[in-house]
Amino acid sequence: MTTIPLLGISVWLIAKIFVLLGLVIYFVFALVVVRQVQLMTDTLEVGFEFPIRALSWAHLVFAAGVFLIALVIL
Amino acid sequence: MPDIFISEESKKEDLKPEPHLSEKSKSKVQKEKFPGSTHNPLSAFCYYPGNINFETKESKEKVVLLLRQHPITNVKWILIAFLMILAPIVLGAFPILSFLPPDFQFIAVLIWYLVTTAFVIQSFLTWFFNVYIVTDERIVDIDFYSLIYKEVSDANIDKIQDVTYKMGGVVRTLFNYGDVLIQTASEVPNFDFLAVPKPDQVAKILQDLRIEEEQEKLEGRIR
Repeated sequence: MTTIPLLGISVWLIAKIFVLLGLVIYFVFALVVVRQVQLMTDTLEVGFEFPIRALSWAHLVFAAGVFLIALVIL
Repeated sequence: MPDIFISEESKKEDLKPEPHLSEKSKSKVQKEKFPGSTHNPLSAFCYYPGNINFETKESKEKVVLLLRQHPITNVKWILIAFLMILAPIVLGAFPILSFLPPDFQFIAVLIWYLVTTAFVIQSFLTWFFNVYIVTDERIVDIDFYSLIYKEVSDANIDKIQDVTYKMGGVVRTLFNYGDVLIQTASEVPNFDFLAVPKPDQVAKILQDLRIEEEQEKLEGRIR
């Protein structure tokens, strides 16, 4: 395993932290998308609200899923 | 023999407009069929859609037209999304991520698909929520610039000063879509209905509504 010479920490551990940090930020973005979709479907109702809300929630679940998988397998 | 004297009362009666004329013309306009107009929520040209509701809509207000950009404008992002979906499969044949451990390679692919999903959602929502609404009282422009920024502006029909429509180019002529540029005397001076289907018919509908509104003004039937 590659380690940083002076600190003795694995490079991949640092990479994992960065990946997880990025995925947390992405999860927040997915939350914003859900909220924005809610606001927009309130602004405009055309009879297609459920599929769009479902899409935004699916995206949020996907983001959470990738974060959990990264947390477990990395 | 010509009448020498006509009483003031009969003169007034002559000048009186037909009371239900505008209602008649309204229903006539409603009955007109525009080919390609449906009530499908994903349609780009909905004429008298029954089930539309928006935030600032008044109870008596009737939505005459709901417009979006022509569906053909979505082709670009659909193609990009398709390539993004295929990219990990195609690039799997080349050892681009081989410097990463297998776990990281797997997560990289998942993150790639996450980004692809975000791109698809953002592109679709931008098209879906970027709508132009024409009611019997005003025009409303709902702009959904990105996932975190939206803008809603409206102007009364009687504030419309000029309507211009533009159609040009091979694709636009082929699929019959273009821009309708509306100049108003309201706070927002320009309303641009960009890449909407049948711009000529949109301009005609706006013209009819302006005449209707002027007639209502003359008859003193302003809401």
